Amino acid sequence: MAVEIGGIGQSVKRKEDARFIRGRGNYVDDLKLPGMLYMDIARSPYAHARIKSIDTSKALAIPGVLAVITGKDLVPLKLAWMPTLMSDKQMVLPTDTVLYQAQEVAAVVATERYIAADGVAAIEVDYEPLPVVVDPIKALQPGATIVREDREQKDNHIWHWEVGDKAGTDKAFKDADVVVKQDIYIPRIHVSSIETCGMVASFDKVEGKLTVWMTTQAPHAIRTVIALVAGHLGLSEERIRVISPDIGGGFGGKVPVYPGYVLAIGASVLTGHPVKWIEDRSENIQADSFARDYHITAELAAKKDGTMQALRVKTIADHGAFDAAANPSKYPAGLFHIITGSYPFAKSFVEVDGAYTNKPPGGIAYRCSFRVTEAAFTIERLVDVLAHEIKKDPAELRLQNFIPPQAFPYKSSLGWEYDSGNYAGALKLAMDKIGYPELRKEQIEKRKKGELMGIGISSFTEIVGAGPSKHFDILGIKMFDSCEIRVHPTGKAMVRLGVKSQGQGHETTFAQIVAEELGLPVGDIAVEEGDTDTAPYGLGTYASRSTPVAGGATAIAARKIREKAKLIAAHLLEASPDDIEWKNYKFQVKGVPAKSKTMQEIAFAAYTNHPQGMEAGLEAVDYYDPPNLTFPFGSYICVVDIDRGTGEVKIRRFVAVDDCGTIINPMIVEGQIHGGLTMGLAPALYEQINYDENGNIQGGSFMDYLLPTAMETPSWETAKTTTPSPHHPIGAKGVGESATVGAPAAIANAVVDALAHLGVRHIDIPITPWKVQQILKAKGVAE
Amino acid sequence: MRFGGTLDIAAPRDRVWAFLTDPRQVTACAPDLQSLDLADPTHFKVVVRAGVGPIKGVFAMNVEFTDLREPEHAGVLARGQAPGSAVEMRNTMDLAAHDGRTTMHWASDVVISGMIASVGARLMQGAADKITQQVFSCIKTKLEASG
Repeated sequence: MAVEIGGIGQSVKRKEDARFIRGRGNYVDDLKLPGMLYMDIARSPYAHARIKSIDTSKALAIPGVLAVITGKDLVPLKLAWMPTLMSDKQMVLPTDTVLYQAQEVAAVVATERYIAADGVAAIEVDYEPLPVVVDPIKALQPGATIVREDREQKDNHIWHWEVGDKAGTDKAFKDADVVVKQDIYIPRIHVSSIETCGMVASFDKVEGKLTVWMTTQAPHAIRTVIALVAGHLGLSEERIRVISPDIGGGFGGKVPVYPGYVLAIGASVLTGHPVKWIEDRSENIQADSFARDYHITAELAAKKDGTMQALRVKTIADHGAFDAAANPSKYPAGLFHIITGSYPFAKSFVEVDGAYTNKPPGGIAYRCSFRVTEAAFTIERLVDVLAHEIKKDPAELRLQNFIPPQAFPYKSSLGWEYDSGNYAGALKLAMDKIGYPELRKEQIEKRKKGELMGIGISSFTEIVGAGPSKHFDILGIKMFDSCEIRVHPTGKAMVRLGVKSQGQGHETTFAQIVAEELGLPVGDIAVEEGDTDTAPYGLGTYASRSTPVAGGATAIAARKIREKAKLIAAHLLEASPDDIEWKNYKFQVKGVPAKSKTMQEIAFAAYTNHPQGMEAGLEAVDYYDPPNLTFPFGSYICVVDIDRGTGEVKIRRFVAVDDCGTIINPMIVEGQIHGGLTMGLAPALYEQINYDENGNIQGGSFMDYLLPTAMETPSWETAKTTTPSPHHPIGAKGVGESATVGAPAAIANAVVDALAHLGVRHIDIPITPWKVQQILKAKGVAE
Repeated sequence: MRFGGTLDIAAPRDRVWAFLTDPRQVTACAPDLQSLDLADPTHFKVVVRAGVGPIKGVFAMNVEFTDLREPEHAGVLARGQAPGSAVEMRNTMDLAAHDGRTTMHWASDVVISGMIASVGARLMQGAADKITQQVFSCIKTKLEASG
């Protein structure tokens, strides 16, 4: 029975894959509308320059070029600037100064894509270069070049944020037996989703209606933002329709509002034609918001035996030229204060200072729930530094310190209430699977022979599922999410949600929740997202929030339907509702399986034979406001071998034990973990966006920014423990980002472990062969 | 990026000076010259085609002779753009005469921004060396031939 239904816990094949594997997906760039025009964007070659003049005459002289939009054109429309999601403002187009390389300078609208590009090449801008500041630490020093002259505050400091007990933490450090301190830089990286960003904007001048198809992870919020930003131009929210069609990867990079979106809408309003704008790969990787870029100093205080006592962290956050991160309003450093991780620090204190630099905006949550990756990497790296300092096995040190299972719900010293966990269970399973004691013996043997082998552990705790409306909002909109279910007369259901899949498999997993709750086969349940004219309002998909929040809404909406269905069942079975029970996906008279009604029979009755006095139909909607966040966790163990000649790090084995609470679809979860691990491998060994002293991006193409391919990716070994969330309607915690968050520290710890006997305590990621080779040479062990 | 070098030219210093400070003559050695537009004896606009590997652009450069001390020292400031890229060069030339020949010491400070700098950074040094060699061998050839 369970297999037929395809409910929770079944590896149901992904319903959406039928179209994806046949090349029949429907992405923004697939859309072609009659009379559609094309837009391309001219960008700044300078990281910081004054614009003395812009000459558009040659561009406008090209046949097929219909319009060129510059910052000056936007001023009378009050659109030269737009608000960011973090109480800052951002230029749509500059009127006098560019603040980073590849910043948008002008837009060209033409009858063809290539003509638009020719128009961009013909725009002549006279720039006067200005001094550039790319290092956030230098940016915060007195006398530094000021990035944001538009602000009243004449320096590059954006905000200071702190949490925890400073005095108590300082005292704990003063009294501690052992203190370790480590500087950690988590470099700037880019999500590099397969599909770049883009939009088709279509403004109907007669109806005053704007329809946009765009690559956004949060279509409903975008609709409201458009209404708020462009309301004065006559765009009214009931006449704005935002459609997110299929999306080729988001990873947080498709949450912000980029100037190109605003320009495409403006171009359609201006011309009265649909306008398509699709970024090319270089624009995407050079100008769209970046992630990480945290300069961290972390300290841990412990007793001689390794008992952890206090944590103190100071961070400088490089946000680029605009603070356009997509954090919940209250948390400018995101949920970085999950940095206490899996350990019960009695005292802790964290402070973060945001800085402006001449770089594109930073701080997006790249496959992580707002700075959780930075936090998890730091604490897991720091625990290994402590292990090294007190000469204790890093597994033993973790097992000694973990928050014990009986301590949940656990209140951390930085204010979070962890829902549930069994950290030792996950680590012990990972150690069993990988054969930890044998590996340590092998390492001793290898060291005798001069071979370099390392074992790295990461026992991370995430915080996802934002979030309770008491604390979480974006631009004032509370971070609930929603689900609407309509059961049709023939017993088939249409499910619509406020979130938006970018490849996660929502059409399957949310159908499985409904299947489980209503007893309808998963194949009879259609899931639709991303059209603001049809779907209920929600804040979208990022920060692993779809299952924790919209998944909760789905279960509760289905339960509302089941409550009504029960009344109809009682009517059909001529019994009192009190005598009706839900069993084996059917309603039956208590103890009389022969007297039962299926949901299909009840659905038909809801439209043809419903009880008098009851509303017809079988529908429900739920806006779910989660009581708390969820706290997925896991333990990863990585084994590496290092080539003493080339410095290359080879991952021999990688065991990932994840615990995301109740699993809806094990196959999809495993897929998420495989993808996440590969995206965790990337910053550990390969990816980094650097800038030279003039603010030129070094890594603005896939020639210089190395994404791991099948060649670089090891064979992942996965396993699970299951500790349901006690507060979530189905006990699920979310898994989309766990592996990205947990993996980098395991790999970095393994490499450092391989070199630890040579006195190496830390290497900043990405750990490239060149970096390793420099260390091997310095230690005299290079071949 | 800083470049520099020494060039020995079998021509008297006065002629070398006259050649190097005459926009019409010296730009004949510029890479892939498209046009020259003289504003006054020390300011001119030149359009050249240059690039790194497959990334080429047409650069419109504003050039200015600065700090002219005939016949031994000249400074040249060149600033220009191609779509998506920008370049700024500060050059100096010092000429020493001996036995009817001239030794030129030159130095160049080049700042490149934009597409060519970001995509072609790793190829830049090689490309710059190649262009420099071409320019100087052209200057030498022309001066020595006309002697």
